[in-house]
Amino acid sequence: MLLTDIELHEAATLEQASELMGRYAPDVRLLAGGTDLLVDLRTGRFSTCHLVSINRIGALRGIAATDKGVRIGTLTTPNQMASSPIIREQFAAVLDATRDMAAPQIRNMATVGGNIACGVPSGDLPPILMVMNASVILWSLSGEREVPLDRFFLGPRQTVRRTDEILTQIFVPYPPRRCGAAYERFALREANACAVAGVAASLLFEEHNIVRDARICLGAVAPTPKLVKLAGTLLLGKAADEQAISQAAEAAMEASEPISDIRGSADYRREVVGILTRRALLRARQRALGENS
Amino acid sequence: MAGRNGPARDGSSGKGLRVVGRPAVKVDAYSKCIGQTKFADDITLPRMLYTKMLRSTVPHARIVRIDTSKVKNYPGVKAVLLGKDLPTRYGIMPVSQDEQVLATDKVRMVGDPIAAVAAVDEDVATEALDLFEVEYELLPAIASIQEALDVSEPRIHEYGEYGNVHRRIAYEFGNVEEGFAEADFVREDITFYEGSTHLPLEQHASVAQYSHDGKVTLWSSTQNPHYLHRVLAKVLDIPASHIRVIGTPCGGGFGGKCDPFNHEVAVCKLAMMTGRPVKICLTREEVFYCHRGRHPVLMATKTGYKKDGSITAMHHRTFLDGGAYGGHGIASTYYTGVLQTTTYKMPHYKFDGVRVFTNKAPCGPKRGHGTPQPRFAQEVQMDKIAEHLGLDPAEMRQQQLVEPNSLTANWLPIGTINLGRCIDKVVEGSRWKERFRKMPYGKGLGLACSAYMTGAGTAIYWNPMPHSGVQLKLDRSGGVCVFCGSTEIGQGSESVLAYIVAEVLGIEPIDIRVVNADTDLTPVDLGSYSSRVTLMTGNAAIEAAERAKEIIARAVAEKLEVPEDRLEFADRRVFDLEDPEKGMSFVEAVQLAEAKFGTLGTTGSYTPPKTPGKFKGSAAGPSPTYSYCAAVAEVEVNPETGIVVVPRMWLAHDGGQSINPVLVMGQVEGSVYMGLGEALMEEMTYRGNRNVVHKFPSFLEYKSPTTLEMCDVISYLIEEPDPAGPFGAKEAGQGPLLPVPPAIANAVYDAVGVRIDEVPITPDKVLKAIRAKAKGQEGRYGPAVFPHCAMPAPILVPTPQQGGDGRAVVREPAIAQR
Repeated sequence: MLLTDIELHEAATLEQASELMGRYAPDVRLLAGGTDLLVDLRTGRFSTCHLVSINRIGALRGIAATDKGVRIGTLTTPNQMASSPIIREQFAAVLDATRDMAAPQIRNMATVGGNIACGVPSGDLPPILMVMNASVILWSLSGEREVPLDRFFLGPRQTVRRTDEILTQIFVPYPPRRCGAAYERFALREANACAVAGVAASLLFEEHNIVRDARICLGAVAPTPKLVKLAGTLLLGKAADEQAISQAAEAAMEASEPISDIRGSADYRREVVGILTRRALLRARQRALGENS
Repeated sequence: MAGRNGPARDGSSGKGLRVVGRPAVKVDAYSKCIGQTKFADDITLPRMLYTKMLRSTVPHARIVRIDTSKVKNYPGVKAVLLGKDLPTRYGIMPVSQDEQVLATDKVRMVGDPIAAVAAVDEDVATEALDLFEVEYELLPAIASIQEALDVSEPRIHEYGEYGNVHRRIAYEFGNVEEGFAEADFVREDITFYEGSTHLPLEQHASVAQYSHDGKVTLWSSTQNPHYLHRVLAKVLDIPASHIRVIGTPCGGGFGGKCDPFNHEVAVCKLAMMTGRPVKICLTREEVFYCHRGRHPVLMATKTGYKKDGSITAMHHRTFLDGGAYGGHGIASTYYTGVLQTTTYKMPHYKFDGVRVFTNKAPCGPKRGHGTPQPRFAQEVQMDKIAEHLGLDPAEMRQQQLVEPNSLTANWLPIGTINLGRCIDKVVEGSRWKERFRKMPYGKGLGLACSAYMTGAGTAIYWNPMPHSGVQLKLDRSGGVCVFCGSTEIGQGSESVLAYIVAEVLGIEPIDIRVVNADTDLTPVDLGSYSSRVTLMTGNAAIEAAERAKEIIARAVAEKLEVPEDRLEFADRRVFDLEDPEKGMSFVEAVQLAEAKFGTLGTTGSYTPPKTPGKFKGSAAGPSPTYSYCAAVAEVEVNPETGIVVVPRMWLAHDGGQSINPVLVMGQVEGSVYMGLGEALMEEMTYRGNRNVVHKFPSFLEYKSPTTLEMCDVISYLIEEPDPAGPFGAKEAGQGPLLPVPPAIANAVYDAVGVRIDEVPITPDKVLKAIRAKAKGQEGRYGPAVFPHCAMPAPILVPTPQQGGDGRAVVREPAIAQR
């Protein structure tokens, strides 16, 4: 469709955005970075008559540390995240995703909130944020609610966010001591390529290097980012040794539901899930235990 | 490294030359860098209208009804064009006149244009497209070579051999069975080379203007204004002399702007209908559907060889997936076979080629036109032969090189050949002898060689006229203006003219103005294709400049009272060689000549030598001379994911004397880049269902290398002057692409011991082959089956070695078998 056919409304406040969304519903969409949405409109995946931009709402931008974790404004870009001292010090694993996604231009335009809210299965941020127990704040005129990220996604491009809600913040709790996480992705070229598969893992160790909690999340190989509960369970109470990691990788492959598409066949993607799971677990272990690579 | 600081050069480069052979700024560099260059889409004329084309959404259908009533009444729409308004069929080749500007009866691919609107702006034109009502009667779609062979009804076109077979060609030079009988071993390999597209950054754009005396002017991003000019005259049905085609600088061509395109004719007609200028600029998606790129080619290559690696015979068979139209396709079909004889001695050669129609974007010429595919087949097979014989692939090739100034079995005239020195350079640079077959698992080296034409020996339509013309205008300002029909597509064709004329007249390139690609102002040059421009326009420019020099020398000789042959043209002066103080400035010399002879102007032209072969079809392949290349690729294969990374390549190019070595190196590096994409990731593929839409007509999902994938290139220029070329120059624009994909495939084998017999070499194919090998199966990924197609009896031509005279053996007319 022609982008000139679309009326752009710039909201100065959340209330105004909400009012505009209500006024033009259902023929309206929220605009943040626009790196997905504008392409989708242009190629006809969606059509709409109105866009409500939230880009002028300054309060939605920026990263703030609290007692329990970090609050990331929905409009924060991947590159702003990557250069934030608090993220670099406390949430280094998130950098795995922000560093490899898309290309520098996109990382300067896209928003963290958009990468989550669009619900695209191959998004790079959801898997790593999910294993780090992140949640999102959904705001509407009737109030705010906090939804754990692992309960946010329903299907491809479908989430629990109601049309009157705006994803305003992402909250990520500080990781406990002896916890490490990592995100590994594989794509067909080094930049500007959606993931063939992505795997995030986090490991929390007790004393004696026994795993107390393990979380593994797959990206791009299921209708939504997918937590693999079994893979986590297989690691519990054990040292994250070669055998346990192999079992977890097997479980991750089993749990993946890849489709054959332009980025690879289902079989190949399942293979890649195994490889990435192993790599992510090894790196998470290194980070948790301070091992040298 | 050489590749970083300028090419390592080897040869008698630049001896006695002042401009030629020296690195120099391109004449159009500054205007391009600061944005002054006007590309077609930069042209805006008063009262200009914009065109959009309604395109088919189905791959194969009869058009039952088109309702335009709503469109015509839409505010801002000024004209609607339908197929019936321009029904004449056309195509670049006289034998494939199968295109229409807009479909009249049926559509043959998604993207086929059905109607065009001219409106006050691009948005109105786009909106108007939604108001057309088109009713289709769907026809079964044909999406692959096998389907085209199996399904004879419905036919995509009503012409061609039969069913959906567009063309079959069969040749036998010598006697291959005899050759196979002499061999110690015979092997056949089946390989596949996927289609890929040109990906020029500039999307095709055109602007047409009509004046009321009946003349049409078209500015267009075309590589071939001359052929476009002919098509416009034919389809618009007005004399060619009333049409002016101006080729705007191309923001990338690579063969994708060689065909005359429907949109180019449509804007002319719409300008005639409305009396207003009309512009079109295609979207990126439309460029993907214009295509005309690399044919997907399935190949079977049967080769007889002796224990020393010498080749006794080859029987090479190809199937080309042509897409929906003929285009250059018959030439492409020949090119999938004719150059197999140009690198290694081959006494007997047989070639069968079959091109089929499918309901996909038409294929055609892309950098290397039809030859990277068979070169891949041949060079991968050479690697297997060397492995089988326990010979070093580099040394084995060195022993088999064709002789300079010889004729191949299929009557191609080889000029200079320095392929041996090319191999030496890349072997030395890559430390081949220490590293080949000795690197750790996952790392490897691979070698491949190639040859390419320096200009096609015959024009696309038969005619006895020159292939290139140059006119010089000199006047009392001392300025020299060069007029030539050639097109600048970034390769430096304007610069080459300036360097050459400057060299001959002893002035500087900056003193010269080049006017090109304008059918009203410039003499005909056939266009920027087949690596012909430097050789052909260069030779024509030398002739024109020598004639100007002669006129000026006559006037100066008289004034200075020295013999003409003692005059030297250099440093912007004309002077007595024996007494350099005695002379005058070039400006004064031109003034003298203008006073003596009147207005000054000279012409030069170039016609390639007659081709030695005299059989039907011998026009494809001959060239004034051939360039040669050798390449070594280094790869790193991740055995877990199968992904192949190419950290560096060494490429030696025998391109004769460089006119400007920096531009030659640019062509070498650009070719490596494009070859790398074809080898590893590029795929022009369509959805497998009956809808046959392109899988990813976008820069995001059509994977082409980024700067992060691009390898280091260490280039070597081997510069032995070739007598056929201007100052000894051969081609550079296409040949260096050819060895890249097979060198990478051979390096993958060296790294992980599996053969990937098709490109692109994607991670899943590599992993499948590694897994198969681990299970004790054949470590190979590639086609296993070669389809059957009955071939006509081959045109039988005795080879020069057999004492043939270049003619085919006369026999009973061959009966084409079904």
